[in-house]
Amino acid sequence: MGTGKFPRVTRRRFLRQTGLTLLAAGSAPALSAPFVSSAYADTKSLSIVQWSHFVPEYDKWFDKFAKDWGEKNHIEVAVDHIPVGNVAARAAAEATAQSGHDLFGWNGAGGAHLYRKFLVDVTSLVEATEKKYGKVSTIGRQIGYNQDDKTWSAFPDFYINFPSLYRKSMWDEIGMKPDTWDNVRIGGAKLKAKGHPVGISLGHSNDPNTTWRGLLWSFGGALQDAEGKKVVLNSKETVEAVKFVAALYNEAMTAEVLSWDDSSNNRYLASGIGSMIINPISAYRTYQKANKKGADDTFVMTPPKGPVRQIMGGASEFYGIWKFAKNKEGAIEFLKYYADNWPEAFKASEGYNNPCFANLVPKPMPILSDDPTSTPRDKLAVLQDSDQWSASPGYPGPSWPAVDEVYNDFVICDMMAKAATGQMSAEDAVKWAHQQSESIFHKWNEKA
Amino acid sequence: MSAIAEPVVKPTSRFHFIFDRRAVLETVLIAPAIIYVLLLVGLPLLLAIYYSLSAYTIYDPTWKFVGLANFKQILQNPTFLDTLRNTFVFTFGSQLLGLVLGKFGAFLLLQPFPGRKIVRALIILPFAVPVALATIAWQWMFDSLYSVINWTMIAAGILTREEAPNWLGNPYLAMLCIIIINAWRFFPFAIVIFLAGITAVPQDVIDAATVDGAGFWRRNYQIILPMILPIMAIGLIFGIVFTFTDLSIVFLLTMGGPGGATSVLGFAGFQTGIVSGDVAHGAAISLFMLPVLLVVVIFMLRFIRRREI
Repeated sequence: MGTGKFPRVTRRRFLRQTGLTLLAAGSAPALSAPFVSSAYADTKSLSIVQWSHFVPEYDKWFDKFAKDWGEKNHIEVAVDHIPVGNVAARAAAEATAQSGHDLFGWNGAGGAHLYRKFLVDVTSLVEATEKKYGKVSTIGRQIGYNQDDKTWSAFPDFYINFPSLYRKSMWDEIGMKPDTWDNVRIGGAKLKAKGHPVGISLGHSNDPNTTWRGLLWSFGGALQDAEGKKVVLNSKETVEAVKFVAALYNEAMTAEVLSWDDSSNNRYLASGIGSMIINPISAYRTYQKANKKGADDTFVMTPPKGPVRQIMGGASEFYGIWKFAKNKEGAIEFLKYYADNWPEAFKASEGYNNPCFANLVPKPMPILSDDPTSTPRDKLAVLQDSDQWSASPGYPGPSWPAVDEVYNDFVICDMMAKAATGQMSAEDAVKWAHQQSESIFHKWNEKA
Repeated sequence: MSAIAEPVVKPTSRFHFIFDRRAVLETVLIAPAIIYVLLLVGLPLLLAIYYSLSAYTIYDPTWKFVGLANFKQILQNPTFLDTLRNTFVFTFGSQLLGLVLGKFGAFLLLQPFPGRKIVRALIILPFAVPVALATIAWQWMFDSLYSVINWTMIAAGILTREEAPNWLGNPYLAMLCIIIINAWRFFPFAIVIFLAGITAVPQDVIDAATVDGAGFWRRNYQIILPMILPIMAIGLIFGIVFTFTDLSIVFLLTMGGPGGATSVLGFAGFQTGIVSGDVAHGAAISLFMLPVLLVVVIFMLRFIRRREI
């Protein structure tokens, strides 16, 4: 029999003490409520969630900017940054739980139209901003605007463009420029023979989804019609585009591209092997920090021209205010203030965030027209007009849930990859992708 | 003559009498676990079943009943059948590899050697490391440009850069990669299971078999293995259930690529239901796991019961 200093735990003793502990824990909030500082309880708050920017300095700027605004307005501001891959899951969780942040920042496909019923109508805010800073660009409109009832369910923040980044010395050596898709293929084949292939991902990530859409459009093909009602993928133009990609892959690229994620092409360029990639300038900025000499040899140009047009995919960023947000007024006021100070955001992103409103950053744009870190200083000047060649995934129609699902299922990337690797003929790959897209469109047409 | 004091009878409440009854106390103590399972497993399962029979999307959160229409549409998609096949290959491939590695590991760890206790503790690390961290480390090993494996083979003169395997770009190699990573995560658990099983086999049985002339292989495959099969089957049930429902490795490493070669049910359900917002179809895709897992678990539990009898 134990006779130590600790008393024996009997069933009754266990029950009594456990019960008391649970009672104490349960009643603590109620008992302490009268003593909570009323000043603290009255403090308004605003919570924001958005992706962790590819330019880390931008996040630092944004956090300080939001905090300063909060201090001026006696609002406690909390900004959460989450990995870009978690944005969709977080949005779904917040919408389902009807609880979460006040202001939600989406990245790329999906968001404004998908969560339309959960979001506050910001039409008056967008219209007021348009009056001040000019019309919203096409790419900004494709994501946040609802064509059917002419409303805005999200506030366009910025878009990310996808220019060509190429090693000038390598292309000069063969006396060519990657200004057209044909030149990319012909020049790329010559450079591949010299050990410097072209690097455009054929894997499952955002970059190939964006780039191959751009190529498809530049050949005259598209996923859907301008109204977003019909899948028009199975066309002569798409077959030509797919045949071209197969040739480009076999002649000018290596099999590595089949496994790439969004950062692989950046590393490929920085490794000194790749002769050209298509990517936002974050790849160039990273290269500048890693190897100034290599970055100085890397030039930025508009995306390659196709037989029909010069166009490239882009990614839009936008803010939505949840209907269940605790501080909707605060969120709207913050967005107004943010728009008024948007040129600062542009500078903080080192020219990565491109404006969605025509006159938000008047030309010549700072940094892009004259970048002190680049040689020559006007290297990025072509990006000032990138709204003219950037389009969102639904082009030429609107973005809507079916377009997003085709995007999230990597149907266009796989169509290109299946033909490139010889798994299917170009015609069969297009038929396969058309069938996949039609079944997604059919499903959403029934639901939307 | 001394008087014996009468014991003081404390007045007891009815509450105490109720909890003095063993059956009542048992019920009260087990209730939190049952409520937990019902609330956090039972309800979501029922909700998922209803979602799969509805037209619920994030775009239009309606509870409209559509019967089996979602399942029908999914089955008509040839890509889904590829996903189903991938899930089986991934699950059973990684379990098989994990078991083989686990068996070898257990035998090695049974041998006396200096630092055995430290090695036994360290071997658990793959099981304890967060999957996101581990997968990122593996991603670098299979990277197209900076693969440590390829670099070593090229440096050793075994391969040239052109001949180096395209780990995550080749459909078969990509599947092998996710199998290897999952087996690597699973094998410490398999080692623990095997060690527990092997050490529980009575030494006199093994000694008797040795005296009767049974060699290493016969002792292992005709005596030890049949005796530890029930505990091995329990480990396998855990492994199969966790792998069949897993999406993390695919999500972090391949996103289902190249060309859908590594897309598994968990990943496809997540992409459709959460990322694309079609909750009904996402739930239906995920529910395809249920009958498969149910059959596997019932079969293995019956097998274990028979072995025990």
